Amino acid sequence: MSTDPLTADPALKGPASPAADKQAMAGRARRFGALHQAERTLRSMRAYGTVIIFSSVSQPIMYILAMGLGLGVLVGEGGDFAEYGASSYLMYIAPAILASTVAMAAGIEFTFPVMEGFKWRRLYYGAQASPLSPGQIASGHILAVSVRFGIHAAVFTVVLYLFGAISSPLGVLMIVSAMLGGLAIGLPIMAYVSTLRDEKGQMSLIQRFVIMPLFLFSGTFYPLTNLPGFLQVLGWFSPIWHANELGRLLAFGQPTPAWLIVVHVLYLLGITVTAWLVTVRIFTRRLGLEEWRGRTPGAKADARRQDRLAVKDASDVARSAAAETAPASRGELPRISFRRGFGANYYSGNIRAVFGRGLTAIRNNRGVIFLSGLLEPVLFLTSFGLGISPMIAGVDAEQVGLSGGGTISYAAFIAPALLAVSAMNGAIFDSTWNVFFKLKITKLYRTMMSTSLGPVDVAVGEICLALFRGGLYALGFLGVLLVGGLVDPLAAVLMWFTALFVALGFASVGMAVTSFMTRFQQMDWMMMVLMPMFLFSATLFPISVYPVGVQAFIQALPLWHAVELMRDIAFWDFSGLTLVHIGYYLVMIVAGLALTTYRMKKLFLR
Amino acid sequence: MPVEHAIRATGLTKRYGDFTAVDGIDFTVNRGESFGLLGPNGAGKSTTMRMIAAVASRSAGTMSVAGLDPEKNGPEVRARLGVIPQQDNLDEELSVRENIIMYGRYFGLPRRWLSAKTEELLEFAQLTHKATSRVEDLSGGMKRRLTIARALVNEPEILLLDEPTTGLDPQARHILWDRLFRLRESGTTLVLTTHHMDEAEQLCERLIVVDEGRIMAEGSPAGLIRDHSTREVLELRFGMDRNQEQAQQLTTLLGSPGPASSNDPVSSNGSATAGRDVGFSHVEVLPDRLLVYAGSAESALEQIHAAGLRPMTSLVRRSSLEDVFLRLTGRTLVD
Repeated sequence: MSTDPLTADPALKGPASPAADKQAMAGRARRFGALHQAERTLRSMRAYGTVIIFSSVSQPIMYILAMGLGLGVLVGEGGDFAEYGASSYLMYIAPAILASTVAMAAGIEFTFPVMEGFKWRRLYYGAQASPLSPGQIASGHILAVSVRFGIHAAVFTVVLYLFGAISSPLGVLMIVSAMLGGLAIGLPIMAYVSTLRDEKGQMSLIQRFVIMPLFLFSGTFYPLTNLPGFLQVLGWFSPIWHANELGRLLAFGQPTPAWLIVVHVLYLLGITVTAWLVTVRIFTRRLGLEEWRGRTPGAKADARRQDRLAVKDASDVARSAAAETAPASRGELPRISFRRGFGANYYSGNIRAVFGRGLTAIRNNRGVIFLSGLLEPVLFLTSFGLGISPMIAGVDAEQVGLSGGGTISYAAFIAPALLAVSAMNGAIFDSTWNVFFKLKITKLYRTMMSTSLGPVDVAVGEICLALFRGGLYALGFLGVLLVGGLVDPLAAVLMWFTALFVALGFASVGMAVTSFMTRFQQMDWMMMVLMPMFLFSATLFPISVYPVGVQAFIQALPLWHAVELMRDIAFWDFSGLTLVHIGYYLVMIVAGLALTTYRMKKLFLR
Repeated sequence: MPVEHAIRATGLTKRYGDFTAVDGIDFTVNRGESFGLLGPNGAGKSTTMRMIAAVASRSAGTMSVAGLDPEKNGPEVRARLGVIPQQDNLDEELSVRENIIMYGRYFGLPRRWLSAKTEELLEFAQLTHKATSRVEDLSGGMKRRLTIARALVNEPEILLLDEPTTGLDPQARHILWDRLFRLRESGTTLVLTTHHMDEAEQLCERLIVVDEGRIMAEGSPAGLIRDHSTREVLELRFGMDRNQEQAQQLTTLLGSPGPASSNDPVSSNGSATAGRDVGFSHVEVLPDRLLVYAGSAESALEQIHAAGLRPMTSLVRRSSLEDVFLRLTGRTLVD
């Protein structure tokens, strides 16, 4: 019967605001705070929910069709895998592919959103102002990502069952091992990313130097024992390998000694728990009373660069002071020259400046990011060449449409294809992500167009830059092939020019497509087109394993032509079809350039 | 052939689908003049600037920039212009010095000449000590000055500035204004858009007031104030609910002829009360305050107090372009 509303029992007050009782509210936050944060993260994931579900369904289908069935034909069904407990190659790789795709998702979910929370959109600082503790914010993110892994793994498993890639009902449990693997690889990365104050290409370095190598050397597509000893060691450290092996144990009872099972479980759990605690601690340092602002990666390197420039500056000044006798004036403004006449509104004849700007920008960025592009084809070649070769006697030359008969080694078979793929990837990356960034985010092209440059100068300059980068990568990869004895020197020279030619085709089309894009999410869809193209275009196995209809579809895609063209050169086996491949790219180049120029004008000269 | 005017536009029109951004405007900018386009957001200022800069086509009308048609001779026109966009779009991947050099390269200028010119511009922008820094390490004011220095690399005849000081703190603004004054003295034609009245009054010799794609008035800042407003303004706050009714009272009070001149034939909102040194013109009602336009705001306030009205706050100030705009369009400029 109290008259003071503040001391009245809140239970008696009926529909009072849940925010009225501050003490209860704080208590709720203390108990369930991590769940609140998890809910927020999951809600934000709904924005790209379609992408998550689509990729969860399409990835297993893609890998089943490509690796399980395509590569499986080369590897030979049954027999070989009985000793591991699997009845087919598809069955053998299925659990490992699940674990690997979860690991890939971990590489995204524990990097960009964390950077977004601390820096880009400062979402964590919003949560910091609520009763949530920093540790709860960290754990909330981890829980939400775990849920996403769970959904992905569940959908994935269902698809695998439907295709008969899993038989034992116990296989459902590999959802758990895959999730654990994802956390074991993702949480150390999250701990690292949460120490960063600024992002300077670390995300792509993590992708290329951590996720990719671990994916390739964790016995996903072949038993780890196929690799030479020193590469096996890399696999032992990889959480993906432990998750793969646990998944195989659960899915088809791969014979495993008891001690090894304990090692797998303890290793994954140990990393997960340790990294989780470290992450909570770092979040507490940054969002708690200490207000630590994180470290700036590359700050020292940047300071050194500035010092170097300052020294150079000082010596320049000294030199010009020494040469004081010469008139100090810079003279009159030189004539600004540009083309007149046909198309003068589009092309001012100054591609050089656009290209020069790109080179300066590359020089200012950290070299390791630039060089990381070189690594990818080499890693692929090492992993597949060394790991798959023991399972394949060789590729029948006739089967892949080469004359002369006989067999070729698997490494020699995939090497030219990987060069074509790396030319495509480099060109696409430069002409899509980088162009989109300069188009929409930094608005560099708008700046360029306010000078006397025309749209053609900008488009061609950027494409030249993509080719320059692609050319360097191809050079590096061909060097590796030469050392490995996989190509002849003469073929290598021709293949280098072909790599540039292929890159030009993809760069001009990629740039045209990018000019239509308005949001980053659309880029995701484009990447979803590239991945299957890579897997199916006769890169890792001949397309003769597919029915004729499917073959025709693949042959309509650009990458197949590039791969075939490269192989024609590598095995010095030319035919009328070679000309078709070349023609295909000529059309791509001309159409792509024309559309790009048209779009550039539309975007900038409205 | 030397052309008297830097820019001349007649019937300049820009339509995006059904929407008319610029609706047939005429204006001329003389050489060496500093000319302003004043108007609220979405008035068509930026679109007009883009048409001058040869990055937007016209839907109708003619335009000549330095004697050339920007639509036909894009690169040639742009070579004579310096463009300072609303948002600093500096190249974050380059250092401060490289930003200027590369921009010069876009004009096809030789490196040797540029390296000397760049030092000169760094000096001008007071950025010499930051020459090797990354752009992201600069403050907002420094970035703006670098953007301006960069736009000067081709020694432009005409400098286009879109909202040059929006978002800068007062000190940075004054440094920038000082640099722009120097440019004006050196004979560069300045064309700037702004919705800041004080900026227009500081920088423009002549300006056009633009609203909804049309020119509302043209003249010097002082001339526009003289023609469209009173000398002084009295700002009064009575509290949100009472502003409207008070406006009625004030109009009656200040506007009604005093007893001495009760048979004065001039209407109630004219300058009939000039004899009592108020010079009342009219009252504008804004959501949060009342603006009393009068030759002498001080006397008006005295009269209001004498009548027993008690505003919560009162402020006497000189009339500005803001008031001109309000008078011309019935709307405030910054909302």
